[in-house]
Amino acid sequence: MTAAVQNSPPLLAPSHSRPWREEEATHSMRSLGYFIGAFVAALFLGIGSAWYMIERGSPLTTTKVGPWSGWVNEGNPNADLYTRAHVARSGRLPLTSTVARYFTARTDSAGRLLNSDCEYKIEGGPINARWWSIAVYDEYGAPLDNPSARYSFNSEEMLRHADGSYRIVLAREARPENWLPAGDGGRHLTLMLRVYNPRETDAAGIGIVPGDRLPKIERIACE
Amino acid sequence: MRVRLPGFYIALAAVLAGLIHIVAVLLLPSLAPRNAYARLAALGPANTMIEIPAATPGRQAMPMMAPDVRYAFCRFDLAAGPVRLKAAIPDELWLIALYTREGDNFYSVAGADMKRAQVDLIISTEDQTVEEAGVDAPESSDEVIVVNSPVKEGIALIRAPLAGPSRASFAERALAATSCSPYGR
Repeated sequence: MTAAVQNSPPLLAPSHSRPWREEEATHSMRSLGYFIGAFVAALFLGIGSAWYMIERGSPLTTTKVGPWSGWVNEGNPNADLYTRAHVARSGRLPLTSTVARYFTARTDSAGRLLNSDCEYKIEGGPINARWWSIAVYDEYGAPLDNPSARYSFNSEEMLRHADGSYRIVLAREARPENWLPAGDGGRHLTLMLRVYNPRETDAAGIGIVPGDRLPKIERIACE
Repeated sequence: MRVRLPGFYIALAAVLAGLIHIVAVLLLPSLAPRNAYARLAALGPANTMIEIPAATPGRQAMPMMAPDVRYAFCRFDLAAGPVRLKAAIPDELWLIALYTREGDNFYSVAGADMKRAQVDLIISTEDQTVEEAGVDAPESSDEVIVVNSPVKEGIALIRAPLAGPSRASFAERALAATSCSPYGR
């Protein structure tokens, strides 16, 4: 009953303790390494994914049809945080998506980046809206310098075929029909299609531009 | 204790990445590029109509402005009372849109949706009524549109889409004839 404490705590000889402590030390070093690794990975993943979802969008916020992508709730006071962050960073003042829709393309229909050294054919059908326009910019959103000061074509001024369809040629050198100058060579381009007062809307009143009405962008040739 | 499989650290990285993602989404708008309000505020004072010069390759007030739209804006500040925007709308394509500083487009009206060519729009906060502003009530109130603004400071932007390049100078003259001023003064 009165079990006397017979076992005194073991005395660890220095020769025993040293290897054990070293193992502990390398273990905690390794933990620290893993922890730092995890933290750095989290930093890249967290900021990278936030940046991508704000700059380029995600299925939560944008609709993508071929090369075109449009933010569904752009300019809308009830928009989600990603869309609001996108609008704030873009420096633009878009009309709310119940009044206008904006679509941008950075690639052709085959997925290759738009390049001012190439020539493109942009073809599409009529869009059911009060006014719409296709404009070309450099990758920073500035219009491209050209002698005819032509930066866009809109629904009122564009040459169209009898069925309402149209063809725009984006090229550095002048072309017949609707020539959209590509400016100087050696840069990436962005196209923007803006559709004011689309006549079709969804249940929330957001303007609809059917996917088949977003023009095809076909690369013809490159210099 | 032996070193565990990196599973724990992968889970830790995922949780941290999620938290950092949320913080970044909240912070990114306030970092780096200036938003539209800041860009337009640099062009002139509040409560006055300012035409935005047409975008050219060297210079544009905001990125990706429509080259075939002419714009004029009024940076409204309702601290001292409502603000009145007057415009003769020559064209059904015109659009008037009101924005908060963050770019929320809380009101818009198209030329085609207005029965009259002369627009008289009063922007006020919800607690300011046009009568309380200490001014005479508008002569006939159906000719005046009163818009309640959820914010004290924002932007009223008029867009004049062009039917063709030859219409640019006409649109610029029509925009120059619009006005924005404190209501009653």
